[in-house]
Amino acid sequence: MIAAAFSACGGSEQSASNNPGTLVWARYGDADSLDPHRTTTTLSWQIFDQLYDTLLAFNDKGEVVPNLAKSWDVSKDGREITFALNSGVTCHDGTPFDANDVKYTADRAIDNKNPSVTKGAWGSIELVQVVNPQTVKFRFKQPFGAFVSFMADPFASILCDSNKDLGTQFGVTKAIGTGPWKLVSWTKGSEIVLEKNPNYKKFGRPVENPGAPYVDRLVVRQIPEAQARLAGLQTGEVQLIVNPPLDDLDAVRNDSNLKLHVAENTGQNFFFEFTTSRPPFNDIRARQAVAYAVDVDRAIQTAFGPDLVQREKCPISRGVAGNDQAFCDRFTYKPDPNKAKQLLAQMGYSASKPMEVILMTSTGDNREKMVQVFQSQLAQVGINAKLETMDIGTLNARVKQENEKKSGVGTFDMMDWAWFDPDILHQLWHSPGAYSGYQTPKLDALLAKTRTTIDPTQRKQAVNQVMEYLLKNAVHIPLYTPGSLWVYATRNSVQGFKIGTFNRPVFNDVKLQ
Amino acid sequence: MTSYLIKRVLSGLFTIWLTTIAVTLLIHLVPGDPVQIMYAQSQSTTPEQLEQVRHNLGLDRPIYEQYFIYMSRVLRGDFGTTIRGNQPILSLLLVRLPNTLLLAISSLFITMLVGVTAGFIAAYKRGTWLDAGLMTGAIVGISIPSFWLGLVLIYVFSVQLGWFPVSGTNLRNLFLPALTLGLANAASVSRLTRSSMIEVLSQDYIRTARAKGLAEKFVLMRHALRNSLINVVNMLGLQFTYMMGGAIVVENVFAWNGVGRFAIQSILQRDYPTIQGFILIFAIVVVGVSIVLDVLYAWIDPRINYDS
Repeated sequence: MIAAAFSACGGSEQSASNNPGTLVWARYGDADSLDPHRTTTTLSWQIFDQLYDTLLAFNDKGEVVPNLAKSWDVSKDGREITFALNSGVTCHDGTPFDANDVKYTADRAIDNKNPSVTKGAWGSIELVQVVNPQTVKFRFKQPFGAFVSFMADPFASILCDSNKDLGTQFGVTKAIGTGPWKLVSWTKGSEIVLEKNPNYKKFGRPVENPGAPYVDRLVVRQIPEAQARLAGLQTGEVQLIVNPPLDDLDAVRNDSNLKLHVAENTGQNFFFEFTTSRPPFNDIRARQAVAYAVDVDRAIQTAFGPDLVQREKCPISRGVAGNDQAFCDRFTYKPDPNKAKQLLAQMGYSASKPMEVILMTSTGDNREKMVQVFQSQLAQVGINAKLETMDIGTLNARVKQENEKKSGVGTFDMMDWAWFDPDILHQLWHSPGAYSGYQTPKLDALLAKTRTTIDPTQRKQAVNQVMEYLLKNAVHIPLYTPGSLWVYATRNSVQGFKIGTFNRPVFNDVKLQ
Repeated sequence: MTSYLIKRVLSGLFTIWLTTIAVTLLIHLVPGDPVQIMYAQSQSTTPEQLEQVRHNLGLDRPIYEQYFIYMSRVLRGDFGTTIRGNQPILSLLLVRLPNTLLLAISSLFITMLVGVTAGFIAAYKRGTWLDAGLMTGAIVGISIPSFWLGLVLIYVFSVQLGWFPVSGTNLRNLFLPALTLGLANAASVSRLTRSSMIEVLSQDYIRTARAKGLAEKFVLMRHALRNSLINVVNMLGLQFTYMMGGAIVVENVFAWNGVGRFAIQSILQRDYPTIQGFILIFAIVVVGVSIVLDVLYAWIDPRINYDS
């Protein structure tokens, strides 16, 4: 009797893992909500991305391509965008997908009573109009250049309008979309069970499979401790994990049963930014001295080794349309300790009177090692940088605080941001800015142009002007990408696993052997 | 007894009241703007929305008003909603609380079983290599972080032997986390049992019992162990508190779906309303269980007269 009870207890889990039609994916935490309007965490949107589809999609180069919408048209003044929708798409509950679902989603996101947490990314929508079941039109108060790419992001996931009858259950026990996976159950803190949507049709997702996923079930489980996740992968209890312990990556590489996948083009970027409200960094020479003093390539080698992160020269990261390494290289300060010393000497610093500053960064992966390397490089030119490491939330608040102070020791920080569109620069640097940092009317004007310009070629030029300005003035010094590492490991039985642009794992092509 | 009970409950309520004040102040202890910290890098959340959050959390009011607003909500069972996901906090905590209690109670059982047995043997074999070995083991046990012990147990029992799954929250998965937490605390219980056994064994009534010609087994079990356990039982409340605290770490290692692990995720996400709710619920449970155990102790040990 007891034996029966025990086997029944563990049985369901055991059979789930052993079933060749079930892929078990272990992550470090749980989603917060399956409602794309309620949260912005990666743990959450990586699930939205399976349940819902978006009007447009990103291809492997980060370019926007058609998806649920087969085409889109922007009016001359940039204030109207019309989407023509694909027909024959059905929602998970069997109702047909049409323009009403798009209108329902957008109206819900910008609703004044309880708007989406990413309301700002929808722009100044005046009206969403259902022209006919296959056509939907967005009208804006002002043109908004970042809207088209936002339509390819999981925060703009299209919800089927049948969700409105679910009340508070939407996003908790039920979630109706048109994505490749349907929600079966969500046991909070434990696992999310998805099953394949047999009616799924691929339009723009960067996968090869034209229809429903090959695997029957996708179980997303939580194992917070990295060592335990790796142990689960080694025993075969799970077949895919995110972020194995960084110190054990060689163990994964050397295990013939396992395969390592490093996400590229995640849109994340680490960069230096400075407190420019007071000396020394209100003086461009101090910022340039830092830029000349550090050798980023060597720091990357020391802290991360050869293949985990890449040197990034643009303020918008690899994967984001408009990232252009050759263009940004023209305005990049190359390592030159002598120039750094000259600039410091001009400012009155010397070996006996070094520049004293604080370098702040957030905790996580090997970034502390990275700033230690920078610290020693800076010391060689006569900059004494005291290191302060804190969690990312505190760092955000601290940077803003420092920018608002007019006196005190000079500070700069190694910051990490991610976004799928060059609009990140507007969010960071247009006054009042994310941190009340460096601001000039000239920069504001250049940034405003990136929002009001819709034509892709002209917008790229506007973005280039901003990047040139930020780089030349040593305001935003790009360092490396991805900002936070995203490493995945699979068992060899998992074939066809792929990480799309912007760290979006896709399972449509996965087969289990 | 009744007045003892009343005193004990009142002091418990006082502790919980102090916790509510600490919890209200918590959000103000962080440097900088708490709403900015909570929404760190939540791109495209508009300034108006952040202002709304500030208002909803009452952060735009004087601190004493914030306290009264928070308390009036809590007393109505409304702990607010999570910052990320907008889910009701109380139900998220209550659904996980039984898992944490199950883990803590199972661990307590292992602690008692292992700790008392080891302490008993060590005392009886006092001065032998067995005593020295067990007490050295206890020192090692106290020193080993449960986090590390958990990983070692996973490596041995899951990866090498394949006896238990690495993660999950069901009966089959209970053994390893309970063992981890239980062993860590068994060490201190074994030392306590040993010292009280030694003390009891030197008492006159033990000599009398032996002089009467009672079987040694009977002397040890009936007279010595029972009396030395009074000290151990007295520590149950404290042990339970340790278990609850330790559960936070162990739950994380074994992916046990309890309140501790939920709290850690909330801390990493800087979800202050959830952290506040967790601390409050945790304090209520710890205080409540301690009162029950203390009262039980008073009831079990007739020598203790609390009314005097």
